[in-house]
Amino acid sequence: MTIGLAHYLLVSAALFGLGLLGVILRRNLLVIYMGLELMLNAANLALVAFSRFNNNLHGQVMVFFIITVAAAEVSVGLALIVALFRRRQSTHVEDLTSLKF
Amino acid sequence: MNLTLLGPELVLVLGGLALLLVDLAVPAARRHLLGYATAGGVALLCLYFVANHGAGGAAARAFGGMFVLDGVASFFKAIFLLSGVVVLLLAADSSPRLGGGITEYYALVLFALAGMCLAASANDFSVMYVALELITVTFYVLTSFERSRAASLEAGVKYLILGALSSGFLVYGIALAFGASGTMSFDELAKHSPELASNRLFQLGVLMIFGGLSFKIAVFPFQVWAPDVYEGAPVPTTAFLAIGSKAAGVVLLVRLFGFAVPDLALHWEPLWMTVAGVSILYGSLCAIPQRGLRRLLGYSSIANGGFVMVALSTMSKAGSAAVLFYLAGYLFTVLAAFLVVGVLVHRVGKDDFSVLAGLHHRSPLLAAVLAASMISLAGVPPLAGFFGKFVVLRAVVEQGAASHAYFWLAAVAIVGVVISFWYYFGVIRAMYWGGDAPDLTPIPISPTLRGAMILCLGGILCLGVFPSAIWEAAVAAVAGLGI
Repeated sequence: MTIGLAHYLLVSAALFGLGLLGVILRRNLLVIYMGLELMLNAANLALVAFSRFNNNLHGQVMVFFIITVAAAEVSVGLALIVALFRRRQSTHVEDLTSLKF
Repeated sequence: MNLTLLGPELVLVLGGLALLLVDLAVPAARRHLLGYATAGGVALLCLYFVANHGAGGAAARAFGGMFVLDGVASFFKAIFLLSGVVVLLLAADSSPRLGGGITEYYALVLFALAGMCLAASANDFSVMYVALELITVTFYVLTSFERSRAASLEAGVKYLILGALSSGFLVYGIALAFGASGTMSFDELAKHSPELASNRLFQLGVLMIFGGLSFKIAVFPFQVWAPDVYEGAPVPTTAFLAIGSKAAGVVLLVRLFGFAVPDLALHWEPLWMTVAGVSILYGSLCAIPQRGLRRLLGYSSIANGGFVMVALSTMSKAGSAAVLFYLAGYLFTVLAAFLVVGVLVHRVGKDDFSVLAGLHHRSPLLAAVLAASMISLAGVPPLAGFFGKFVVLRAVVEQGAASHAYFWLAAVAIVGVVISFWYYFGVIRAMYWGGDAPDLTPIPISPTLRGAMILCLGGILCLGVFPSAIWEAAVAAVAGLGI
């Protein structure tokens, strides 16, 4: 069996779905954040696969941008979660209640 | 390659870096002066840019077509720079409250402005992504800037999670759209627009990109963050979110659907209409029970985002020009409201309706500016908001000949306006007929904020009474659209 585009896309869609489920179902901010990273990596996999099968490099270049930006985003995001933990001693979403709907 | 086209972006980024260096040599007591200096610099940049590119002109490209400077980009850059000036003035005035590292706040505002200007000119998926993330990541810091206040941190974390979720959708959408088309460039997409419009994979990709952008505009389905973040974030950040960040999402939608894949947009009327209708009704209905000005403006911003989507749903040149005009009016209106909210929060400590009682005795200027802003948001003539809503509804009714659904959309929009009278006039009633005020001491306003308020008031009046100049500029700006 040869591995084709469809296989890569299936794995990528599964990763995206798992990440999304993690964001929706988990209650811990750090785990939610891991889910978000999974979603970005699902997109990276899809981009690389499409790049290979479209025979151009635009997708690969985009992946570098996404990795770099995601690193910046994670550093800011983790700093924010640490600041919140220092203030609240908790990283659970149920404890985010000072702004009520 | 024409580097001069990137003038505003380069000046903003270099200015932000220079600001961080100058900060080292300035004693802490004088750092708020850097904020006024930065605001002055951005004002000069705005004047210079409008004088050179305000007239629009032919589209100029740089970096192999990834960057484009045309009428739409120039119009939006003027909006961004003007909002940046007022936000910086408000931030400089509230520097004691923002606490240490205030210069970083000014620098971050400049970086976010650079991201917005870049977004206005993005002509390629990768530039669009990088510009959007430059805005979003700086806003994570800007919303949680008051580290010692739990509400600010909480607003920052909520913005972070939903922002990262929406950028996940955006990136996956870009991957799918790239997979279906084999290109990142909007110019290439425009050449193949008719075939791509019927490609299922491409449609799914663009739908996900649309979801990611709806976060920035704060419309359905990614609107839930707006009220919480508006309430918790520092007031200058909220003002910047309300106009700068929203307009950045709008310009990318215009760019994507107006220039890159116009054929797709025409097939998606039901989607546009649902998003617009749900946002207007959700924003208007949820705003009714609110007792805090910032939360109320948060819901009002969702309803106003809905109005922008109503105009975009027509996918006509008249509708796109209406979007531009609406945002120009919204710029002055919402900045006026947040200038008043900023003064109330910093001088009185609260922004709920209880402090509004007797405001016209404590400070006639604050009361007048807030009243004008609310009347304009409600859409009563002769202010800017009225003419904005008028051109939007006119574009929709003109489109009604093509499909009767547009008449229903116009009806929903009018219902939204009628509901909004209730809460906008509730604010005015609380100010002028709010019963006995517990405290009648005058509220001091610094001369610069007084100037900024008068500027916004002038903008609201001018755009309402003499709308033709800006309307003609908006019509000229959208002349190059592919729809």
